[in-house]
Amino acid sequence: MAEQQQISLSILKKRWLKFKTLKRGYYSFILLVILYGLSWFLPLLINNRALVVSYEGELSFPIVSGYHAGTEFGQDVPGEAIYRELKQSWKQGGSDNWLIMPLYPYSPYEDITVQGNKMYDPPSRTHWLGTDNTGRDVFSRLCYAFNISISFALVLTTLNYILGVLIGGSMGYLGGKFDLFFQRIIEIWSSLPMLFVIIIISSIIRPSFFLLIFIYTIVNWIGMTYLMRAEFYREKSKDYVAAALSMGQTNFKVMFKHILPNALVPIITYFPFSIIGGISALVGLDYLGFGMPPPTPSWGQLLEVGLQNISKAWMVFAPVGALFVTLLMVMFIAEAVREAFDPKVYSRLR
Amino acid sequence: MSNNTLVDVKNLSVHFPVHGGVFSKRVATVKAVDGISFSIDRKQIVGMVGESGCGKTTVGRAMINILRHVSPDVEIGGNIEYHFDNSIVDFAQLSAGEMRKYRSRVQMIFQDPYASLNPRMTVAQIISEPLQLHTKMNNSEQSDRVAWLLDKVGLQPEQARRFPHEFSGGQRQRIGIARALATNPDLIICDEPVSALDVSIQAQVINLMMDLQDEFNVSYLFIAHDLSVVEHISDKIAVMYLGDMAEYGNAQDVYHHPRHPYSKALLSAVPLPDPSRKNRERIVLRGDVPTPLNKPSGCAFRTRCPIAEASCSKSKPIFEEHAPGHLVACPIVK
Repeated sequence: MAEQQQISLSILKKRWLKFKTLKRGYYSFILLVILYGLSWFLPLLINNRALVVSYEGELSFPIVSGYHAGTEFGQDVPGEAIYRELKQSWKQGGSDNWLIMPLYPYSPYEDITVQGNKMYDPPSRTHWLGTDNTGRDVFSRLCYAFNISISFALVLTTLNYILGVLIGGSMGYLGGKFDLFFQRIIEIWSSLPMLFVIIIISSIIRPSFFLLIFIYTIVNWIGMTYLMRAEFYREKSKDYVAAALSMGQTNFKVMFKHILPNALVPIITYFPFSIIGGISALVGLDYLGFGMPPPTPSWGQLLEVGLQNISKAWMVFAPVGALFVTLLMVMFIAEAVREAFDPKVYSRLR
Repeated sequence: MSNNTLVDVKNLSVHFPVHGGVFSKRVATVKAVDGISFSIDRKQIVGMVGESGCGKTTVGRAMINILRHVSPDVEIGGNIEYHFDNSIVDFAQLSAGEMRKYRSRVQMIFQDPYASLNPRMTVAQIISEPLQLHTKMNNSEQSDRVAWLLDKVGLQPEQARRFPHEFSGGQRQRIGIARALATNPDLIICDEPVSALDVSIQAQVINLMMDLQDEFNVSYLFIAHDLSVVEHISDKIAVMYLGDMAEYGNAQDVYHHPRHPYSKALLSAVPLPDPSRKNRERIVLRGDVPTPLNKPSGCAFRTRCPIAEASCSKSKPIFEEHAPGHLVACPIVK
């Protein structure tokens, strides 16, 4: 009877438990999720504006309120206050004023126009990964670019999946003329040289995050339709679908309540690869200069600058290393997902 | 036709066009069902037998109108008239939307209990789905009903939270039966419900189905190819051959006094667990079943019929009454 009370596990839950036992993939997943979560709080962690400033008894929060001229805090600089120097001078002068800086006090956007920044500054205790050709801090840019890269890949993959599942699923489920029509459209569409199309579009319009997502989505949704069409086509002839229809379920419900959960395997196993594709695509476009508009921190742009100054090793190794580690972690996840979904326990690829 | 009739199938034909060539021209037609007529009374069990590919399953699926879903260009002719609450509803004429409100009245039990239950849904979700669609029960009423149904089909209500893959074939078929009974239908189409089960389990499931038929006052169209099973459960038996009805009548008449040569051959092939009758005469049919793409002219059975005459190829035999309530499609044996 004890066995009777045991809670039954759905197939997906079992696979999740299996995934948790695959340490390499599971810890990569945890680490990546934590890092990505943290990366949303980067302005609080890596920034050149102070979190809190107490000047002559008055508190202000430059991180929220934004621009404060240096003169407001008694600093003799043109334009915005330089909080790092402010902190140092207050500390040395033993003044009652104090301020709290973020953990890493350099913003990804501050270049040599800010006093004290140098071009091509090699890695040091202040600039962990040195500075680039305009004096911007490489580590800070790397971290911000991480957030943008992962966000780009996630949004892109999600949109591709929504479109791919909707269109591919309808093709497989409805069949007939709808299927035929979209197959021809996909054939024509997929034969366009998409990289050139993207380059042409982004050389006409100044691309932004969402424009790039949009351009890549109209190109990349096709990949998912092949898989979903096949899955839905196979599943729709099974008896549980006939059972659902014979009890009067609507086509929409049959597709998304009955068939989709049974067609999840390609969606989930393909997901990490799609993320890898998304990250690499953005890096590639940025490298070629057709990606995000210039001041935006991005790995591709760092790489491009690094290759122009190949003798300054930190500018090459930093983006390459970041890209390598991120893609490797996603790959570990992909490998673990594949194994978690594999019904054969022993068939691990070594 | 009595007042007690539940469904009257008149001249039902189901044709699947075959397309080929560069322009997808129609090159042939698979006549899966080619003009059959029969009726099912309330609380009656009609057994339908025939070889593989003779159109039994197609008849069943046409009667719950789900053929169009897999093959949108199927051509359904004739009438499938259901007598619900003093009104006649012809399923062959209804659109998918109009069908929906009658879906609860006719349900189906499928052949393969491994494919007919959605592997991603728990038993409770599977059985309560028709309740959600056709009743206004709230969640607790639904789970009460699910528990009650599970008890009726001989499963434990605690098993409702499990997934189909945790059950044996016989148990899964019981879940399928519970799902079919959930909305108190008038007719359940049983598409070879026991063919995929072990013989010992078959008996249990068939006895369960007969008990439930009494209790729920439901009619069955029992499709099978095992004649002894059909004889055990049915009030009437319909014998099909290559999309045509060969014989239709009371179970005892058809089983013990078959008239159509095909029924005779079929019955002589039923294994009897009786050694004293081991030398009984067996009619062995020669050749294979012709393809429904290109049926023989006249009587479809004439190519394999032991008593065929030249006239058999001339015209399709009339399906007529040879004895009261016993219809046979063979002019030779009359």
